[in-house]
Amino acid sequence: MIRVENLRKFFPVQSGFIASLLNRGNIPTVKAVDDVTFSIRRGEVFGLAGESGSGKSTIGRLVLRLYDPTSGRVVFDGIDLESLSSEQMRRMRSRMQIVFQDPLASLNPRMTIGQAIGHPARIHMPELSPAERRNHVMEILQAVGMNPPEAFYDLFPHQISGGQRQRVVLARALVTSPEFIVADEPIAMADVSVRAILLELMMKMKEEFHLTYLFITHDLATAKYVCNRIAILYLGKLCELGPINEVYSHYAHPYTRALLEAVPVPDPRHRRTEPMPSGEIPNAINPPPGCHFHPRCPIARENCSIQEPPLREIRPGHLVACHYAEELLK
Amino acid sequence: MPKNPVETPEILPEGASWEVELNRVGFVRRLLMARRWYGADWWFVAIGGVAVVAFIIVALFPGLFAPYSPFVQVGPPFLAPEAHVDMPVLIVPKKSSVKSLQDLAVPPDANRPQISVVEGYPTAGALNTESQKIDEQIKDEPRGLRLRPVIDRYPSLQETLHAVVDGQDNASVVQESQFKSVAASFPSLREAAPIQGGAFSAGGFILGTNDIGQDVLSRLLWGTRIALTIGFSSSIVSLLVGVPLGLLAGFGGGLFDRLLSLLMDSLYAFPGLILAIAITAVLGPSMLNIIVAISVLYVPTYYRIVRGQTLSVKEEVYVEAARSIGARRLEILSQYVFPNVIQSVAIIFSVNVADAILTGAGLSFLGLGLPPTMADWGIDLARGQTFIQTAWWMITFPGLAILMVVLAFTLMGEGLMEIYNPKLRER
Amino acid sequence: MPEDILYSIRNLTVEYGTRAGPVRAVDNLSLDIRRGEILGLVGESGCGKSTIGKALMRLHEVPARITAGELWFDGRNLMELPAGKMPEIRGAEIGMVFQDPMTSLDPVESILDHLTETVLTHEPKTSGAAAKKRAEELVERLGIRRERLKEYPHQMSGGMRQRVMISLALALRAKLVIADEPTTSLDVIVEAKILDLLKELQKEFNLTILLITHNIGVVAEVADRVAVMYAARLAEVGTAEEVFANPKHPYTQGLLKSVPNIELNSAELYKMGGQPPSLLHPPKGCRFHPRCPLVMDICSKEEPEFEPVIGDHLASCWLYQEHEGRGSSERHEVHNA
Repeated sequence: MIRVENLRKFFPVQSGFIASLLNRGNIPTVKAVDDVTFSIRRGEVFGLAGESGSGKSTIGRLVLRLYDPTSGRVVFDGIDLESLSSEQMRRMRSRMQIVFQDPLASLNPRMTIGQAIGHPARIHMPELSPAERRNHVMEILQAVGMNPPEAFYDLFPHQISGGQRQRVVLARALVTSPEFIVADEPIAMADVSVRAILLELMMKMKEEFHLTYLFITHDLATAKYVCNRIAILYLGKLCELGPINEVYSHYAHPYTRALLEAVPVPDPRHRRTEPMPSGEIPNAINPPPGCHFHPRCPIARENCSIQEPPLREIRPGHLVACHYAEELLK
Repeated sequence: MPKNPVETPEILPEGASWEVELNRVGFVRRLLMARRWYGADWWFVAIGGVAVVAFIIVALFPGLFAPYSPFVQVGPPFLAPEAHVDMPVLIVPKKSSVKSLQDLAVPPDANRPQISVVEGYPTAGALNTESQKIDEQIKDEPRGLRLRPVIDRYPSLQETLHAVVDGQDNASVVQESQFKSVAASFPSLREAAPIQGGAFSAGGFILGTNDIGQDVLSRLLWGTRIALTIGFSSSIVSLLVGVPLGLLAGFGGGLFDRLLSLLMDSLYAFPGLILAIAITAVLGPSMLNIIVAISVLYVPTYYRIVRGQTLSVKEEVYVEAARSIGARRLEILSQYVFPNVIQSVAIIFSVNVADAILTGAGLSFLGLGLPPTMADWGIDLARGQTFIQTAWWMITFPGLAILMVVLAFTLMGEGLMEIYNPKLRER
Repeated sequence: MPEDILYSIRNLTVEYGTRAGPVRAVDNLSLDIRRGEILGLVGESGCGKSTIGKALMRLHEVPARITAGELWFDGRNLMELPAGKMPEIRGAEIGMVFQDPMTSLDPVESILDHLTETVLTHEPKTSGAAAKKRAEELVERLGIRRERLKEYPHQMSGGMRQRVMISLALALRAKLVIADEPTTSLDVIVEAKILDLLKELQKEFNLTILLITHNIGVVAEVADRVAVMYAARLAEVGTAEEVFANPKHPYTQGLLKSVPNIELNSAELYKMGGQPPSLLHPPKGCRFHPRCPLVMDICSKEEPEFEPVIGDHLASCWLYQEHEGRGSSERHEVHNA
């Protein structure tokens, strides 16, 4: 359904006037996304995991064309998004929506809940009369569990709780009956006891609205509960991709192994067996040459600092970008 | 054990889900509790607010409050505040039944009354004005009496009064103090009613009079109207010009933004008064031109603030969210950016008015902008300059008035700003 | 006070004044921190755990006030000390590591300066050179290369800054380190390394650490004992193994079931109904009763005491305590998570 091909997004680094003069036009860039290719199948929950600087949030926005890629393309349902005019792209948005991480920040503080949810309907469903639109918003509010919907319609975002806000943001994304939703860390800001409920809600909505999700997260434990397939990102590049149980149990990339190992397990008897990679995530302006992970990789060889490993299929449906992935599989 | 903790509205413990309840605290309770919470700021706003309202009422209805007209002479010049006015009084023989000037009216064909005055004193003027006034009033009455006195001038007080004693004149008009000083030697004469006219109004002058006998208080009160008109009008015009420009520049960016910012920064770099002087010198003196000049002065202020706010609001997640749902740029600007930006504008408006009033007064002080016939604080200030030693009240009271108005608006504006942005206070 | 208890919190109550009335962020809480242990204080947002952290150092400012309770630190009741004496204790005897090191570190001081200044402030007799040497050694021990000492906070990554914070706490050889969400803003690999570091330091310097967090996994990884907070009160306290294996309080049970465990293959997460209660109007009786799957009549009427259930494992729940309508012979069997 969604195909991302050789997507790149480089952000220029803001530098002073003199510095840019000295550099003579070679503006340093943050290579947030560097040649990423994958596809998302209709009806699946595709996980995109990584730490900070991995580019996962950027990819989420590139897929929806909230940013324009530096190069590469995004194909949605067979349509190359770049070929669309801005007006056509605008209309396309009714089919693809995003749920942001911070519900309070993503709601206009001066708009009531009803207005906020109704706004996409106003834009994309002009055939509805105001009364019909209001009914539709009420229906959606009920669907996300805000009962009675009338009680919430005229409230402002700061007058409802965090969990409720997250539902509102979800409702706003659903009001135009989209086919595809990008969820950018949707539960990161919710309380622990509420997260499970929100996840269940999202899955229920998926069933009801026949949705496809791109689930962006840093929490691999949560991803296991909702994602069908997962892609691991490091410093703008894909490390590994495949069905989630496959990747978790038969990881083929050293970084994936480190990530899985690092996830805190709520069991005091559990002890970590593998050491953590040395160092920290380097700067995305000057990533290490060759395989970006090589300075920290426990199995790095000379080859790794010279040649970038391509993304290749190592087991059916399971891709990895590492020269020596076979060693981990043993 | 410590007493109940002091309540303040904004500081909360960590990540509370019950913030929601806090936010539902009613407006009325907030009003009532505001004094305890906001402390000094509440007082600023309250006092400033009350003063501003008072000034606005005075500006709207100066006639209700001013005892006299500000444009004409109503008293002797250079009268100190609350000084007693030395009224001209009608002096008549004790045996006469005349009580006031009106009683001297006679039928048209009878002998006109003769009244003596001392040469060189303004009493003749008052007498004339008052007689004419009374004459106008009574000539249409059925009795047909007229009051057109013949005025005899004498070189000295003694001779003036003697003329009445001797019967040459029916009455005399001299100043009260003069008569009192010699009353002993004229036992046959008495005072009748004072003559109220022209430069001699019997009512007191609370703040004194200026160099041409106008009541300072009345001029102050009427001046409020001018000051506030200038203040509000120029602020509103600046707002109407600066805010949209700031919005468009901040939101749109690019060349438009660069050029406009350059223009605005240049304007802003000028010292305010100098720029205003330049503009009024070109445009000429009138109320409208002052308003235009001062408006130009403050457009950059609104522009900068709105542009800055727009730039930061533009980066907010909810604006990105608006884009993601497919809103058009204009929709985003009007529904998402604008409502979140204007709150800062509303608050600086108050302080802006204060500043505009100050600048306006400055302009008229320098003689630019307003025609000198208007009752304006700045003009009064300028006038009072020369007499600062002899008639200090001429310059002091207009100065105080300016001070109080500016203070009132500033207090209110700054207080509101503090209350509205408590986060700044907290950190 | 028994020798092995470093900090004994007794009946602590901390109130905030808010526009809707006073709020008790911590309500009559008693807890002991034993020497040399890592005690994990876990709870969700708004339960009061961060408030405790600051209260232990009497860091609160108006409108928050400690309105009741005693803080027995190393044999002294800190509540009896005049406020002016507290700065001597802060840093030197009780160190704190905050969640966001960016705002706690002085942006215009290099790390080295920061450390040496801290040492010199509390131990003025130390020479400048000795302080510098101590700072260098410490920082190396914490995994920062010597050359980086001259850097400023904004030049360092989050993990690095957190190490600096820890080193500040250690520079003065604090007896107790209060770590308030120390790894929440960090990536998961860095988090793992910092947690390892904390465990090593605990052994090496015989530190006592109070680790405040909402992350159950973190607590499981490092804590010796666990205290679970709910709505300004303690729900359960016990050794980590005990609490995770046999949680007694229904809240703990629900919490543990709702946390995703990457090692398990369970299909679904447990969904706890309702939401954390308002501290402005807490529920009558046991504060968890509106959401409790094992709720009984008494739970909505009276609050249970915080009492031992088995040995050192304490919980405040009517399931384990005698009350009207139930004899002491009945003991409700608790099903494990």
